[in-house]
Amino acid sequence: MQGLVASLPVTAGFVPFALVLGAQAGQKGLSAVETPLMTGLNFAGGSEFAAIGLWTSPPHLALITAVTLMINSRHLLMGAALAPFLKTLPKRRVLPALFLMCDESWAMALADAKARGSFSLAHYMGVALPMWLAWIAFTALGAMVGPVLGNVETLGFDMAFPAIFLVLLRGMWSGFRAARPWLVSLAIAATGHLLAPGAWTVAAGAIAGLITAWLWAAPSKTGAAA
Amino acid sequence: MISLPVLATILAMAAVTYLTRIGGYLVLRNRTLGPRATAVMEAAPGCVLIAVIAPHFVSPRPADLAALAITFLAALRLPMLAVVPIGIVAAAGLRWLLG
Repeated sequence: MQGLVASLPVTAGFVPFALVLGAQAGQKGLSAVETPLMTGLNFAGGSEFAAIGLWTSPPHLALITAVTLMINSRHLLMGAALAPFLKTLPKRRVLPALFLMCDESWAMALADAKARGSFSLAHYMGVALPMWLAWIAFTALGAMVGPVLGNVETLGFDMAFPAIFLVLLRGMWSGFRAARPWLVSLAIAATGHLLAPGAWTVAAGAIAGLITAWLWAAPSKTGAAA
Repeated sequence: MISLPVLATILAMAAVTYLTRIGGYLVLRNRTLGPRATAVMEAAPGCVLIAVIAPHFVSPRPADLAALAITFLAALRLPMLAVVPIGIVAAAGLRWLLG
């Protein structure tokens, strides 16, 4: 129950994101069934915004899956950080529970586990379930409203994507040093777009940024990574 | 209501996302990642997001570039709920003014 109460402010914060995502999905042609199916099964907002941004009819499965994997790779670190607190629980209970691990439910669960000295599955579910249900419900609602909004380009609605992404990026900001790979991704993807527009520019930009992060992470002994 | 290519894409997304959720718990719980692997994973979401919106940064329309600049400034401080309408209104208004 206390998990539920703790969850409410965060869950309320999900609503505008969910409505905007659902509306964008609706405008890209996803139905009011397909949209909540995606958001309910995937339940990772950043990757869903990216997927909808890249969505075509039919969708580019390999690109969208690769982008989803890259955006959500941070879950690996989050799961590893939570693992020491999950040692007392059997795997058959942990594995289904991890389905609901998003940035917010993870942060709250970790804080709660540190405070009480052990992980409470009841608290975690109380935190995570309302987030999940709200995400599904309000993306579905957005998908119903989206197609009614009309010509998105003249009305400026296409600027919603950079707006959303810039806000998401601000949330991930942890100093200029850590953000340098983003600039490499931006430069490569933008240059690629000018030369030969297409879905490949996203992959090329992202991979260039990841290589940069790899090279800049630790000083190389040969000095080649400077 | 559900087309097959859409369903396949959604299921593929869901599968890789769930693997990232359980992967850290199953594989990494008893080891520590090196600084390079950590840096790559921390940079990954931002790199992908900015690569997706990169075309907006090199738009041939001055109105779109100006609207993006306004949106960028708004995104530095304001919440999502304010930044999105500011971006939309800036784009619509500047396109009307500048073409």
